[in-house]
Amino acid sequence: MCCSSFPGKPIFSVDIHPDGTKFATGGQGQDSGKVVIWNMSPVLQEDDEKDENIPKMLCQMDNHLACVNCVRWSNSGMYLASGGDDKLIMVWKRATYIGPSTVFGSSGKLANVEQWRCVSILRSHSGDVMDVAWSPHDAWLASCSVDNTVVIWNAVKFPEILATLRGHSGLVKGLTWDPVGKYIASQADDRSLKVWRTLDWQLETSITKPFDECGGTTHVLRLSWSPDGHYLVSAHAMNNSGPTAQIIEREGWKTNMDFVGHRKAVTVVKFNPKIFKKKQKNGSSTKPSCPYCCCAVGSKDRSLSVWLTCLKRPLVVIHELFDKSIMDISWTLNGLGILVCSMDGSVAFLDFSQDELGDPLSEEEKSRIHQSTYGKSLAIMTEAQLSTAVIENPEMLKYQRRQQQQQLDQKGATARETASASSVTGVVNGESLEDIRKNLLKKQVETRTADGRRRITPLCIAQLDTGDFSTAFFNSIPLSGSLAGTMLSSHSQQLLPLDPSTPNSFGASKSCTEPVAATSARPAGESVSKDSMNTTSTPAALSPSVLTTPSKIEPMKAFDSRFTERSKATPGAPSLTSVTSAAVERLKEQNLVKELRPRDLLESSSDSDEKVPLTKPSSLSKRKLELEVETVEKKKKGRPRKDSRLLPMSLSVQSPAALTAEKEALCLSAPALALKLPIPGPQRAFTLQVSSDPSMYIEVENEVTAVGGVKLSRLKCTREGKEWETVLTSRILTAAGSCDVVCVACEKRTLSVFSTCGRRLLPPILLPSPISTLHCTGSYVMALTAAATLSVWDVHRQVVVVKEESLHSILAGSDMTVSQILLTQHGIPVMNLSDGKAYCFNPSLSTWNLVSDKQDSLAQCADFRSSLPSQDAMLCSGPLAIIQGRTSNSGRQAARLFSVPHVVQQETTLAYLENQVAAALTLQSSHEYRHWLLLYARYLVNEGFEYRLREICKDLLGPVHCSTGSQWESTVVGLRKRELLKELLPVIGQNLRFQRLFTEYQEQLDILRDK
Amino acid sequence: MAKVSVLNVAVLENPSPFHSPFRFEISFECSEALADDLEWKIIYVGSAESEEFDQILDSVLVGPVPAGRHMFVFQADAPNPSLIPETDAVGVTVVLITCTYRGQEFIRVGYYVNNEYPNPELRENPPLKPDFSQLQRNILASNPRVTRFHINWDNQEDRLEAIENQDPVLGCGLPLSYTPVKGLGHQGGIPSLLPENSMDCI
Repeated sequence: MCCSSFPGKPIFSVDIHPDGTKFATGGQGQDSGKVVIWNMSPVLQEDDEKDENIPKMLCQMDNHLACVNCVRWSNSGMYLASGGDDKLIMVWKRATYIGPSTVFGSSGKLANVEQWRCVSILRSHSGDVMDVAWSPHDAWLASCSVDNTVVIWNAVKFPEILATLRGHSGLVKGLTWDPVGKYIASQADDRSLKVWRTLDWQLETSITKPFDECGGTTHVLRLSWSPDGHYLVSAHAMNNSGPTAQIIEREGWKTNMDFVGHRKAVTVVKFNPKIFKKKQKNGSSTKPSCPYCCCAVGSKDRSLSVWLTCLKRPLVVIHELFDKSIMDISWTLNGLGILVCSMDGSVAFLDFSQDELGDPLSEEEKSRIHQSTYGKSLAIMTEAQLSTAVIENPEMLKYQRRQQQQQLDQKGATARETASASSVTGVVNGESLEDIRKNLLKKQVETRTADGRRRITPLCIAQLDTGDFSTAFFNSIPLSGSLAGTMLSSHSQQLLPLDPSTPNSFGASKSCTEPVAATSARPAGESVSKDSMNTTSTPAALSPSVLTTPSKIEPMKAFDSRFTERSKATPGAPSLTSVTSAAVERLKEQNLVKELRPRDLLESSSDSDEKVPLTKPSSLSKRKLELEVETVEKKKKGRPRKDSRLLPMSLSVQSPAALTAEKEALCLSAPALALKLPIPGPQRAFTLQVSSDPSMYIEVENEVTAVGGVKLSRLKCTREGKEWETVLTSRILTAAGSCDVVCVACEKRTLSVFSTCGRRLLPPILLPSPISTLHCTGSYVMALTAAATLSVWDVHRQVVVVKEESLHSILAGSDMTVSQILLTQHGIPVMNLSDGKAYCFNPSLSTWNLVSDKQDSLAQCADFRSSLPSQDAMLCSGPLAIIQGRTSNSGRQAARLFSVPHVVQQETTLAYLENQVAAALTLQSSHEYRHWLLLYARYLVNEGFEYRLREICKDLLGPVHCSTGSQWESTVVGLRKRELLKELLPVIGQNLRFQRLFTEYQEQLDILRDK
Repeated sequence: MAKVSVLNVAVLENPSPFHSPFRFEISFECSEALADDLEWKIIYVGSAESEEFDQILDSVLVGPVPAGRHMFVFQADAPNPSLIPETDAVGVTVVLITCTYRGQEFIRVGYYVNNEYPNPELRENPPLKPDFSQLQRNILASNPRVTRFHINWDNQEDRLEAIENQDPVLGCGLPLSYTPVKGLGHQGGIPSLLPENSMDCI
C-alpha cells in the first residue's frame, strides 16, 4: 500500500512504534519539515482501511523548519525523536490531556486524533541532522549531522550533551547502537565507518577499506547492528566496483563478508529485531539448528532485498518497488512486517509469514543466549516470562489480579479523561465550554496598563497535564530538589522494556545451509484511496458565493503577500499620523534585509525568519544542595561573621602553636589540645534570625547597661511580635535558638538556656573550653568547643545525649575543616567535613559513624534506577538527604557503567543501598529509613536476592507468638516494623519468583491480625 | 518551537454592518508560562494597492499567560472610513490578526473580507461616494490564512548564556545561528527601548 502526506514530497524516514499500533514518517512538508504519525491498523487490515471511522492519520507536526531526515521512537515508545535540515532535533511526547483537534488554518477538515507535543528541542548541530538513534536502554539519544559530528544527548536530562564525537571528516549520515549498548557506529561521506565506545566515548575503530571506492552519492547511510550484537552491516560500500552492504564482525572488526547484488548504492540496512531459528518440521528429525538474523537492505536502485544470515542468497528481492530511491526501513516488533519509504513520497508495507522467516526466539530464549554471551544476568523477569510462571497459591493470585484490576482502572480513568476532553463541549469548573464562550466577552478581565493600553487576562480553559513529568523534566529551572529523582524514576519506567530488545547470540550462521523456500513477499494490501490519506494543500480559491465581484480577483493576489509578510511590533494605540515614519522604517528594514541577505542564503531554505539560537536552558541543579538545606535549616539573617551557625561554615583546625598567639582572658584558658577550633570574638551587638515561620529572632547587645560600674549584656528575643529580654553578666559570644529553646554562650565559658518565653531553664553550664559553635534543634542544644569537643543535651528532659565527645577521631587528618554542622530532630549531631565526608555521632554506641562520602565510589557505581518507586517517593527529605545532597550523579555514572559486568554493579548497588539504610537508621530519620529500606527491598526483589530479603522480612515480622524472652523490638526509629512489612509484601509479590516468601509472610501477618 | 500555538479563531457576529466592531474569539495553547505579555493586533487593509492605507484597529496585551489552553475575545472598532480610498471601499479586502511576543511576530492570521451592499438596488447602482452605513462586512471565516514565523522565545540573556555554555570547539560553526534576523534580534531583547512612535509598516 502507499500513503503519503504530500503526494510527491519525499519521505525520508519511517519508524514503527514499538507497540505496533502506529508509525511515524518524516519528510518534506508544504514549506516546512513534516512529521506524521499514522495508524497502523489500516495498513495491516483491509477492513480497517475501509472503515471510515478508523483514522488513518493520527497527528501531523510541521514544527520543523526544514525537511525532516529522520524519525525514531524510543524503545519505550513514549518519545519520538525527529531530526531535520533545520539543524534541530525535536523530542515529542503524547499529550493526553486534549482530544482531537485540527491544525488551525490547515484548511482540510483533518483532525489530529492524537496530540503529540514537542517536549524538547535539541540544538547543537551546525548543519542538517541526518540521523538520530535511541540507545537500547533509552538513556541516550545520538544524532549525527552534516557538520561531521555525532552528538550524544542525555535522554534522561535533555538538553544535556554527554559527548560530541569528532573524527569524521565528512557528512555523517547514519548511526546505529550496538544492542548491548557498548558501542555506537556511524557512517559518513568521508568513506569511513567508525565505531565508538560508550564507556569513554572514544573511537574504538575506524573502518575504511570497504569504502575506498565510494563516492558521496547517497542522501543517507543508515547502517544497522544485528540484534545479537555480532554483526554490524554498513550502508553504501564497494567491492570490485560493485555496490555492497559490508558486514563487519564484532570480533576484531573483520570485514570479510558483504551483501552483494544491488545495482546502485545501498542507502539503508535494517536488521529484524527478532532472532530466528529454523521452523521445526513435523516428522523430520529435530536436529537443533543455529539461530540466525534477518536483514533488509534498501538501495538507490529502488529495490529491496531481504537476507537471512544463514543463507548465502537473499530470501527475496523486490525490484523497482518505488519510483525513486529507498530512504528508510522499519520492521514491526514481531519481525514479520516491514515498512519501506521512498524519496518518491510513498511508503510500502510487506509482510512475511513465519514459514518464510522461521520461528522467532522467545524472550526467554533470547535472555538465555544473551546471558551466556554477555554475562549480564536478567534477574528482572520480563512480562513475557512472568506470564509463563505458575501462580501457586490463591493469595498470590488475588494479589496479581488486584494489581491488574488497578492497572485497568487507571487505564479506564485515562480513557475517560481523554474521552471527556475530546468531546467538543468540554467542561471547565462545571461550566460547559459553550456557556463560557457565550459570556466570554463579558466575563473576561480587561485592565489598562500604566501607559493606557488594553490588557486582557485570558481565560484558562485547560491546564497542561501535571502528571506529565516532561514539563518539569525539560524545564530549565530546577523546580525542587527532587528533580533529579523525578528524572531517574521516570527513566526507570523507560528502562523496563529494555530487556526484550537486549541482544542474543546466535551460532555461526554460515554452517546453516539448509535451503529455505524463498517465497517472495508480496506487497500487501491495496493502495489506500488517496483522498483519505492525503492532506489537501490549501486551496487558494475562494467560494464565489461570498465574493461577488470578479473584478476584484486581481487585487487578491496583491493581498496574498499580506498574509505572509510579517509585521513588526508596535507599541501604543493605532496612530494614523505616522505614515511617513513608517515608510522610513520600511526603507530601513529593506536595507537591513539586504545586509543580511548573504547570511540568509546560508541559512536553510525556509522563508520565515529562522532563529536557531542554540539556547540551552540554563543549567540545573547546581544550586540544589543549597536550596534544600535552606528549606530545612532555619534561615538566618545577620552579620556575615555570625554565619558560623549557618551553613557553609568553615572551622579551621589550628595547630597548638597558633594557640598561644590568641589573646584570651585567664578564665578562658583551656587545657592543651591537639585541635583548636576558632572562637567567635565578642561583638557589641548582633541579631540572629532563628526562623522565619514563625518569625523569631534574637538580638544581643553586649555591655549596654552599667549598674554600679558593672556592665551587663542584654539578650532580647522576639517571636511573632511577642518579645522578652533578659540580662547576663558576661559578654555574649554566640547565640542559637529553636522553637523550643534559646541559648547563649558567654565569654566566661558559660552556657545559658532559656525557654521560649525567656525563663531560665538551667543555671549556667560551665563549658570545658570556650565555645566555638552553638546549635539548637527542638529541645536539643549542641555546643562545639574550641577544644573540638562536642556536647549535646536535651534540656527538656535534662539529660546528656553526647558528652564531651572529641572530634579528634574525625578531624585527625591535618587540614580538614568542618564545613557544615547539623543537629537532627533526634539530637544526633552530624559533621560535614571539607573532604566531603560526613559523620554522625551515635550516642548509643558512642561512635562516630560515616554516613556520607561525596567521593564514595559506591554511590557512583550503584544503579538502582529500575527499583526507584514513583516520583513522589523521591521527594523523601531528611537529614540524610541534606547531608548527601541529591545528585543525579549516581544514575549518570551508572549509565556510563552500563557495560560493566552486571555482577559488579549488583554488588556495588547492594552495598550502597545497605549503607543508605544503615545511615538513615543511625540518623534516626524514620522517613528516610523507610524510603531506603523499601528501595533496597525492591532492588533485592528485582535482582532476586532471596536470603537478604528473607532476613529483612524475618526481622520485620518478629516472633509471631509472644515469648517473654524475645529481644525483638516492635518498632524501628518510630516505625512499626509490621507496618513496614505490610508495605514490603506487595513489592515482593511483584516477582513471582518470590511467591512463596510472599505467601509465607502474608499468612503470618494475617494470623497476627486475627489475634 | 513556538511556545504559543493558536488553536482557533472564531469570527463572531459575521456578517455584520460595516460600522460594527470586529470580534474574534481566539483560543491558543501555551506550552510554557510566558514571562511577558502577548500583543495581539487587528489590522485592516484599506487598499490592496498600498500598505499606507492599513489601519491598526486595535492592539491589546494578553497576559499573564501560564501554560495551558486559553481563550479571549478580541474586540476592535470598525475601521475609519475616511482613511479608506473610495475605490476600495466596496469589494474584497483583508483583515489581519497578528500576535507578537517581545516585539517579534510569530503568527499572522488573515481573512478575506467582502464589503458589499446587501440592498440589491445599491449593489446594482452603487453610489459614487461609498455609503458606509449601508455596507455589510462579510468575513470569509471558513478560510483563514495562517502564517507562522519562528521567533526567539527566550530572552537575550539566555541566548548569551547559551553561547557561553557551548563547547568552545564547536564555536566555528555557530555564529550563523545567532544572526539576529532582519534586525529583530535586538528588539526581542529590549522591547522597552523601542521608540514609542514607531508604527506598523507591514
